Amino acid sequence: MLFWPVVAVSLAGAAGAVFARNLVYAALSLGACLTGLAGLYLFLQAEYIAVVQMIVYVGGILILILFGVMFSRDVLGRSTPPSLGAKILGGLAASAVLVSAGRLAWIISNLPGTGLAATRSPTQTWEGQIASHSQNHLGELLLNGWLAPFLVVAMLLTVVLVAALGLVRKDAT
Amino acid sequence: MSFLPTQSLILAGFLFSIGLATVLVKRNLFFVLMGVELMLNAANLSFIAWSRTFSGPVGLDGQVAPLFSIAVAAAEACVGLAMLLSVFRSKETLDTDRFDRMKE
Repeated sequence: MLFWPVVAVSLAGAAGAVFARNLVYAALSLGACLTGLAGLYLFLQAEYIAVVQMIVYVGGILILILFGVMFSRDVLGRSTPPSLGAKILGGLAASAVLVSAGRLAWIISNLPGTGLAATRSPTQTWEGQIASHSQNHLGELLLNGWLAPFLVVAMLLTVVLVAALGLVRKDAT
Repeated sequence: MSFLPTQSLILAGFLFSIGLATVLVKRNLFFVLMGVELMLNAANLSFIAWSRTFSGPVGLDGQVAPLFSIAVAAAEACVGLAMLLSVFRSKETLDTDRFDRMKE
């Protein structure tokens, strides 16, 4: 019964991030959206991802964005308002993506054997699902099949750290 | 509650569209960055929604992919903000329409 409020918070946060005039408000409603998504991950039995989402997105990226907003002196986000053509183009592209994504989800979820039909069966309970869907396997999976990407991401983060430092150095420009 | 993945996929579609519209319409670089974050989150959500529909090890693969996506998103936000601050320092504006030096 908590599912719909969580969905509403995510959607409202996303809409607020787009339509807010003040950049600080936009960043804060983006935070509401990200928090709502973390709650949604709990509903989808991805507890570990939910925790990572809270730590990395809400605790890291969002704070970084807020810091950047405060740093830029342009807190009100003043810039020329978007032209009508840009608005129409953006709206059209976004609705096209939305329609095709919905259509794709509909087609795939109606295919036999993809499992959506299986999850519709009301046999499983909350507690049983959580117990059976052990998060311990996630770590095993990460260090077995996904080891190479894992190492690449580790190197990427190191490179990014150095690159960001190099970009914002005083004498870089 | 038994058809959560379907609703999550629809929500992911909405979030992606909102993010795309932000990137296309807004002219402040911060809004563009936030739109990109929204789109990445929509992709993560659809990954996890699909992982929920498959049980067993195949399903868990769908939870590993968002981990990498989140790590890359953190890297992207870090470098993106660094570039944004650097650009702001040299041009004193965040309006995307003013960054047209390569057109000349």
